[in-house]
Amino acid sequence: MSAEMLNTFQQIDHPILPKPTHDEASRQEFTKSFKQFIQQGLLPGLGPVFGVRAAKAFEREHGRAPADRRDIRAAMVKDLYFQHYAAANRIAQELLWESTNVTIDRELPDLIEKARGLSASAKGKLDLPEAFETPRYVTSIDIHCMPGGYAGAVTPDDISTGALYDRGVYLYAMGYMGPFNDDMGRSVCNYVNRRLDGFKPKRILDLGCTVGHSTLPYKELFPDAEVWGVDVAAPQVRYAHARAAGLGLEVNFAQMNAEETRFEDGSFDLIVSHILLHETSGKAMPRIFNECHRLLAPGGYMIHADLPPFDNMDPFTQFILDNETWYNNEPFWGAMRETDQVALAKAAGFPPESVKFDTAPMAIMEFVAQQAAGYSEDASAAVSDREFAAGEYAPGGGWEVLIARKA
Amino acid sequence: MNAHAPQAERPHVIRDAKGKRPQFYEAPGLDQAMSMIMVLANELAVLHDRLDSAERVHAAKGLDLAAEIEALQLDQAALEAREAWRQDFLGRLFYLARKDASEAAAADTAERFRATIEDIAKT
Repeated sequence: MSAEMLNTFQQIDHPILPKPTHDEASRQEFTKSFKQFIQQGLLPGLGPVFGVRAAKAFEREHGRAPADRRDIRAAMVKDLYFQHYAAANRIAQELLWESTNVTIDRELPDLIEKARGLSASAKGKLDLPEAFETPRYVTSIDIHCMPGGYAGAVTPDDISTGALYDRGVYLYAMGYMGPFNDDMGRSVCNYVNRRLDGFKPKRILDLGCTVGHSTLPYKELFPDAEVWGVDVAAPQVRYAHARAAGLGLEVNFAQMNAEETRFEDGSFDLIVSHILLHETSGKAMPRIFNECHRLLAPGGYMIHADLPPFDNMDPFTQFILDNETWYNNEPFWGAMRETDQVALAKAAGFPPESVKFDTAPMAIMEFVAQQAAGYSEDASAAVSDREFAAGEYAPGGGWEVLIARKA
Repeated sequence: MNAHAPQAERPHVIRDAKGKRPQFYEAPGLDQAMSMIMVLANELAVLHDRLDSAERVHAAKGLDLAAEIEALQLDQAALEAREAWRQDFLGRLFYLARKDASEAAAADTAERFRATIEDIAKT
């Protein structure tokens, strides 16, 4: 990535998005800049520090070179350069949530009322069951250090953690997901339109939809389809419904678990997920694949967009990606990347020849064409055209998709 | 934050994320120091942006604030006020040096601190 790239990407306002004051916006922008600096300024130094210093120290201590990502981690955690890199990442994470929360706290309780009003006006359904058990893999640790996690609620009908995600994830992704955080959904929609021989889905399900940022592009790009987003966390689902209403897109939302939804057999022809799988668990992942197979009509597609698995990566690359597991409250991250997803899809009943990994390129240049604020040609092209570099957001400028088709 | 409503009574955000925070540095206290430094850096950036905004707003209204600032001549009173602020600021930055010096002057030690505690505790 060019050292001169100036990230000026800005999020676009919408009715339920928290509205920062001048100083709050400045505080939030700093956290985005800090993350960009870490990626551009500190990350490149890890390789040389490892090769020239940490690996040699490891060899002196153990009498052999570091062999895998665990060895590399053991070597690097002793090096001050890595300590600075890892601490900076964690601090940036903490500051970005905190700077966003300041705005939300100021807007409470009115923000909750606003969400209620938007939802009341929406055509899309909102299905929140009376009793619902949020799985432990979501509630035991606050994933990616988001205070309260996805499901945290302080008051009935709370949407605070939904608002926190909508703004916070924009900062986390440094704007690479586009002004509406919808690049992942948009990229998969583009993939469906360009690579599946004219397949036109009629009923689409987005699993683990959080605030619906990846879900909405499906309604925009397949306007005749019925679109559903489901998530286990009530504040996310409520916020998602209000958010879609504010953006004028008829999308249905429900609090459901992707392992076991309340939909009927064969009732969808396209089931998608976006960076969901690495936030589930070893037990949940096969169940999600099985549920996808059950829910798909014959000829329907399952597409899971996430980061690539470990198998084709060198140990140093794996080590960098694995930092998320240890330092960013992502307990399933590393283990997920070692899971054989192709095997899971086959075990779920998908024909082996239909299961594969592919790449869905990021849609960031489209935001340039739309003249979205801050999406300069230079900055966007720098994001779009990249060699794979671990530790960067969405390395290589594309999303890895696991795709399978029901017979 | 609404200063008038007790925290527990109004809808509020959750402040801390569940999950034990890793320790990055070996030296005790350094994790706290680094996070404090970054919060300070953040506030500095906010202040910088606010002043930048002030200059841009003035420019939009026809006053070149940046040029006026460049042309500003400080009178004696202003020079004294600024120097006083800087010396005070440096003193605050180095307050532990001040403390250390006064302890040396009083030949103060950790042992003496302990002895004082024991003495006061005697019934």
